[in-house]
Amino acid sequence: MKTNESPLAEKGQGEALFARSLVKQYKNTAKPALNKLDLQVQKGEFFGLLGANGAGKTTAISVLSGFFPPDSGTVFIMGMDYRRQTNKIRQILGLVPQEIALYDNLTAQENLLFFGRLYGFRGKKLQSRVEQCLEFAQLTEQATRLVSTYSGGMKRRLNLATGLLHVPQILFLDEPTVGIDTQSRHLIHKQLAQLNREGTTIIYTTHYMEEAQELCSRIGIIDGGRIIEQGTPAELLQQSGSRNLEDLFLHLTGKQLRDA
Amino acid sequence: MVKIITAAVKELVLLKRDRAGLLVLFLMPALLVIVITLVQENVMELTGQKKTLVLFLDLDEGDLGKSLRQQLETGQLEVVVWDKGQKTKEDLQAAVAEGEYQVGVIIPAGSSRKIQEETALLFQKDRQPEKNSPASQVPVLVYFDPGVMPGLRSGLSAQLQMALEAIAMKTKMEKLDRELHSFLDSLGGAEDLAPLPSAGLSELTQRPLFILEDNRDSPGPTEAPPYNPVQQNVPAWALFGMFFTSIPIAGAILQERKSGIWIRLTSLPVSHLLFFAGKVVAYLGVCLCQFLLIGLIGTFLFPYLGLPAFTVSGNLAAVLVIVFFSSLAACGFGIFLGMVCGSYEQASTLGSTAVVAAAALGGVMVPVYAMPQMMQRLSIVSPLNWGLTAFHDLLVRGNSLSAVWDDLGRLMLFFLLTIFLAFRLARPRR
Repeated sequence: MKTNESPLAEKGQGEALFARSLVKQYKNTAKPALNKLDLQVQKGEFFGLLGANGAGKTTAISVLSGFFPPDSGTVFIMGMDYRRQTNKIRQILGLVPQEIALYDNLTAQENLLFFGRLYGFRGKKLQSRVEQCLEFAQLTEQATRLVSTYSGGMKRRLNLATGLLHVPQILFLDEPTVGIDTQSRHLIHKQLAQLNREGTTIIYTTHYMEEAQELCSRIGIIDGGRIIEQGTPAELLQQSGSRNLEDLFLHLTGKQLRDA
Repeated sequence: MVKIITAAVKELVLLKRDRAGLLVLFLMPALLVIVITLVQENVMELTGQKKTLVLFLDLDEGDLGKSLRQQLETGQLEVVVWDKGQKTKEDLQAAVAEGEYQVGVIIPAGSSRKIQEETALLFQKDRQPEKNSPASQVPVLVYFDPGVMPGLRSGLSAQLQMALEAIAMKTKMEKLDRELHSFLDSLGGAEDLAPLPSAGLSELTQRPLFILEDNRDSPGPTEAPPYNPVQQNVPAWALFGMFFTSIPIAGAILQERKSGIWIRLTSLPVSHLLFFAGKVVAYLGVCLCQFLLIGLIGTFLFPYLGLPAFTVSGNLAAVLVIVFFSSLAACGFGIFLGMVCGSYEQASTLGSTAVVAAAALGGVMVPVYAMPQMMQRLSIVSPLNWGLTAFHDLLVRGNSLSAVWDDLGRLMLFFLLTIFLAFRLARPRR
């Protein structure tokens, strides 16, 4: 396996994300979901975590974003240890979970106001951020409708916008375009690319090859709870001699079904 | 503080939009308190806790009926007298059998005369003791409503028997008095030799030597109205309603946990305690509104239903303190339920079972003193028992707030324990 690694001794000081030997095993399972996963992401990168169902993508995102701690291993976000500086990290970290993380019986505006206040925004600044997020998600006209009345694509866009309320420096997205229409997916891709150009570090999980190839500056292929290959899309294709990422992926992970 | 209020406002907005949830929270305890209080009022009639109605039909021509009526009216009995010219024995039997009156008493014709004759027989010199058989006793007919509880039936029978014995004793003493004076007269006017004072024997035997001082209704430190089912039920079912809010609280938390909301909340730079605090603040308001609704029903609606009005006897501030502590306990339980259960079905089943069991143990349905010994001992672990005892101490026993601090302390400890356990469950687990 060829990797692009920073010196371990620096312990993630220069990187947006530094994870070392992460292990996580759920109860009553035979194999660990994360099996000594190592990962480094530079500031400003758009890093894609590509893997089949059950490969460990969501667990990786959950551990890296601090939703639950690993059984062992360390995580540094922007040089800060998650175990010691949790609240500081949460101020600069954004998370867009795979499930829709919105209150159905609140309007889009109410959802954004609620989460915005919890981030500490008040008054005009809060109003301004809410308006910007609604514009980002192209939901300004539908802001006063209950989220329960939204289509899947609208909910996904709002889900993403809510994760950006506090202008995070590093953003984790767990399969943010699952089950939505092409137009909504296209809009999300466009907005994320713009965010990345503006300096936001993005860690993006997906099992759609074309999505990873289109968006990501660097890709890590995860299987069995560890990164088995990583590099830029061009590097990966060149090294393996595959015609496309799908061929590469199948070559690396095999064609057998992955039931977790 | 702003973040707690933000979280609380969010809960209230969600609740406002959940019409079914609002119905359950407010309509259910309101219906329960009305239905149960009306039922218990009827039970009180059947167990003698209210004045018992006695239907009285005097077919006699003498003073026996009047004497018996006077004896009965000194007790907890309300005597309704029927005119013998318009009503018959069969009419009385029918009225009692239909439940219009709990008991009916008939004095048969000729009873006064028969009493005098039997009394005269008792004083005959050649009287043989065995001649005083049941056939020579004067019958007084009694009919009971079939729905009257055995305890009340026994009590009424005993009261009637005592009243009749008092009349019999008076009659015998009057006869003895006359016989004694007649004997003394036959000795040649030697009244100064009489061993008895000038007052008759009858008057002497009737003069009581004891007086029973009943302190049952003497007021405590504050005035409290006499016991009635309204004073028991309004706080009891209000408490029940408050603890039932634990299920929508748990439901709200489970909705967050089962969707991506919990993940997002955990990623925020805010403690889970803040989210819990928001729910507590919101549902404290809900519990207070529940109590006010049920209190208003007790105060203004019950009199129209023929029930006594609920009153807090000038203790409104103290009542609200008890409502506050009880609500805290209920909210804490709901939050704990939401964290420990894995689904809304689990939470609703476990929560409703726990609340009903705690209510039964706590004396909401049946007073604790009426339970078997073992259940009375178990009742001390029920938070509803603590709340209900505090209400009773205040509203029924007339004590002040200082007398209920131990119960309030238990409710607060219960709240702190449940929140602590919920917080432990909320922390990211390895």
